[in-house]
Amino acid sequence: MLKAPLRLSGEYRRPDAATLVREVRTPYAETTTIGGGHATVTREGKPERRFALSRAPELAALQSSFGALLSGDIDALRARYTVDVQGTDADWSLRLRPRDAALAGRLQDIVLHGGGDELRCIESRPVKGPVQRTLLAGAAQAALRAGDDADVAALCRGDRDPG
Amino acid sequence: MSARARLAAALGWLVLLLAIGAWLSQTLSFSGDLRRFLPDPRTPEQRLLIDELGEGPGSRLLLVALRDADPATLAAQSQAMADALGEDARFGFVANGAGGGLDAIPERLRPYRYLLSPTFDTQPLDADFLREQVALRLQDLGSPAGDLVEPLLPSDPTLETLRLAEAWLPARAPQTLHEVWFDRAGAQALLLVETRAAGFDPDGQREAVQAIQAAYAQARGDGPGELELSGPGAFADEIGARTAREAGWIGTIDSIGLLLLLLVAYRSWKIPLLGALPLATAGLAGLAALVLLFGDRVHGITIAFGFTLIGVVQDYPIHFFSQQRAGLSPWRSVRALWPTLATGVASTCIAYLTFLFSGVDGLRQLAVFTIVAMATAALCTRFLLPGLIDPARRDVAGSPRLLALWRWIERLPRPRWSLLAIALLALAVIAWRPGAFWQNDLARLTPVPAPLLERDAQLRDELGAPDVRYVLTLQAADVEAALQASERLRPALDALVRDGALDGYDMAARYLPSVALQRARQQGLPQAAGLRASLEAALADSAFRADAFEPFLADVEAARGAPALQVRDLAGTPLASSVQGLLVEGQEHATALVSLSGLHDVAAVARVAAAGGARLLDMKQASESLVADYRGRILAALALAALLLVATVWIALRSPRRALRVLLPMALTTLLVVAVLRAAGVELTLFHLVSLILAAGLGLDYALFFEHAGDSREDQLRTLHAVIVCSLMTLLVFSLLALSSIPVLRAIGSTVALGVLSNFVLSLLVSRAPAAGPATAAPDDAWPPSAHVDAGAREPRA
Repeated sequence: MLKAPLRLSGEYRRPDAATLVREVRTPYAETTTIGGGHATVTREGKPERRFALSRAPELAALQSSFGALLSGDIDALRARYTVDVQGTDADWSLRLRPRDAALAGRLQDIVLHGGGDELRCIESRPVKGPVQRTLLAGAAQAALRAGDDADVAALCRGDRDPG
Repeated sequence: MSARARLAAALGWLVLLLAIGAWLSQTLSFSGDLRRFLPDPRTPEQRLLIDELGEGPGSRLLLVALRDADPATLAAQSQAMADALGEDARFGFVANGAGGGLDAIPERLRPYRYLLSPTFDTQPLDADFLREQVALRLQDLGSPAGDLVEPLLPSDPTLETLRLAEAWLPARAPQTLHEVWFDRAGAQALLLVETRAAGFDPDGQREAVQAIQAAYAQARGDGPGELELSGPGAFADEIGARTAREAGWIGTIDSIGLLLLLLVAYRSWKIPLLGALPLATAGLAGLAALVLLFGDRVHGITIAFGFTLIGVVQDYPIHFFSQQRAGLSPWRSVRALWPTLATGVASTCIAYLTFLFSGVDGLRQLAVFTIVAMATAALCTRFLLPGLIDPARRDVAGSPRLLALWRWIERLPRPRWSLLAIALLALAVIAWRPGAFWQNDLARLTPVPAPLLERDAQLRDELGAPDVRYVLTLQAADVEAALQASERLRPALDALVRDGALDGYDMAARYLPSVALQRARQQGLPQAAGLRASLEAALADSAFRADAFEPFLADVEAARGAPALQVRDLAGTPLASSVQGLLVEGQEHATALVSLSGLHDVAAVARVAAAGGARLLDMKQASESLVADYRGRILAALALAALLLVATVWIALRSPRRALRVLLPMALTTLLVVAVLRAAGVELTLFHLVSLILAAGLGLDYALFFEHAGDSREDQLRTLHAVIVCSLMTLLVFSLLALSSIPVLRAIGSTVALGVLSNFVLSLLVSRAPAAGPATAAPDDAWPPSAHVDAGAREPRA
């Protein structure tokens, strides 16, 4: 349907332990604030939309996995997902499979890729549809540098930049 | 006939009755429809209630709460129940929040979204709008939930489907957890189920409740959890079950008590059998007459009233049994009894004839049932029982204990002026006791326990379910006009919701716009070439491919050419029941209903309704006025009946003084019972009224028989025996009913029990002649009654 796979860039922020902000800057501006059981979506020139996280399990999953990971709370993570660690300290991956049946019906798993203490990429695989990849930190900058030619899948996996 | 042949005949009679009973139970179907019971409507509100609604749109809703398990389990149970009940033909719709309104639109109707959605009423479908929408869709695709939206986009880039689904959600939907509705605390999964059976159809509601319970048992399996059901149908079922339980134990104790009483009174095991035959025959004859004359138009309440009223026929065989004595043929004894019995039956039947002209079907049925039953019981006692009873070996007049009791009664003072004082006192209590005289709310008779009502209000609030008392109605010439009127009312209703007078409303026009509105929307849609050009312009510099939205172009073109959607097109879709429940097509007009939820300011809503040509219908008020009307007709019929009764008794007894002595006990008793009920703060209902009629009928018989006994001591003793047995039987049955926890049974029980006591005492003291000594029956007019009353009044002070 799209001329090219959709690529967004922006920033994730955690203003406090219970809140996650997903800010998209290009190709459009949109800020999603997740916390307190609600998500608030602000789009340019549009009134703010607010809805319960119970209506959007995908957002809840993002909040719980990302939040727990960033705060280093492995117990919180294990409560919601079966956690499967692979690789070495320099190149690790963390596979999260949702325990909640409702979420598992929509989301196969989330794989986090990183090296050392840097989280490089979040791969989210829905039950239906293509994989969504979120590049972070160095990988994100590499992708920005490469522009439209960037091999997102390779950057996510941490393949050495051929260039 | 030998003793064996007599017993065989009695048993044969019983078997015949059982067979007729079995046949009747197959043929007879009671209607639970209140319209069969209530009088013809007079006011527009009543007419609407009776002719078109029969009930409010909310009264077929059952509220279901699942609790006591973790939310995921509850959600799975909710889903399994919704699946099972959704396929059940007994339910109009089942909603648990899953699927939203998206599934409500079948594929063939999808293009109609452009005629159903209000989006393009204010916003042309042009290049600018499409450009903006397409940009937003890109953001939707980029959101974590993008894969949900993606399949919709090719045919629906403006997401009209979702907009409609949102618009069709209940005005105030509960929160969704695990994709189904939950209460605010997240502890209970909620479902809303609409039965096809009417709210007043107890059998249909029971079936629905059982189907829900079965579906729950299936969904839960061996897992944890608890099901809770609320709503008018569930209450009716609960109260019905409780009534059946109580009637069960009351009936058992009654049967044992009556059996023992008759055994002690007559020392023969055959007497209970023979005593039951006339009553059973009477009941079956009455039912058969109803079936033949009225078919299936018989309301359950009519039958309940009828069986209460024919309680009087149980006394007929008792009078006959007590007159039995050695050496007297049963046939001679029954012939001696017959004039009195016939006077009682004939005068009561003539009185009930007035009900035939009351103009109320239910009362006519009641009259037919009662008259047929009473005549049957009397004829059975007169022409069948004497042939079946064994010759008496003893005379109850020979009982020393009865004699001692009689002597004690003989010494009692005869009241005269004291009766006047009592009557005046009773009148004063009736007149000046504060508080409403009549209770018009039928629901108060079978009240739902307060905790259940509180739960219902709570669940109703959580689910945003409609009010069961108030509904807005819009009457118009046809469906189209009714839909247009509904549409014109919407802005005012929306303002009420904004102002907090109302939480929400629902109407058929929310799902199905009028043809006129659909036509207007069709005209507003761009032509194929124009739309294609706009879309191309909108997509030119977007991330979407130029051919991404071909199905959208096809759908808009289909919507432009489609015939307007009508009620019949919705058949088979989930929308059908929503629309049909809110749109009633009469013979010459259609009525659109607007159900209201969370009604906070009734007056404001009524004002808006009046301004918009609608009517705020208070179902409670309308049904209460019907009940009052009904009672008015009964009272009018009763006034006439009383006159006829007096005339009949007068003619039969051929003396005003004798008639007065017979009629005084029942008249005074009626006054006394009403006074006692009033003093106790009881508001009288139709059930009290029917009970008073029964008590009066019993009193008339007691008085007639005492009067008939004359001044012969033996006859008085036998009559005393009969009346003691009769009143003990009636007292036993009705005082047990008075102990019931169900207000209807308590009302009937206490009224009749009080009436029997008072009638017994008064007919003993007023109707019975002072004894002349141990002689056989004296000629009827041998003693001037006034002299005896005077003598009796002087006696105690001596």
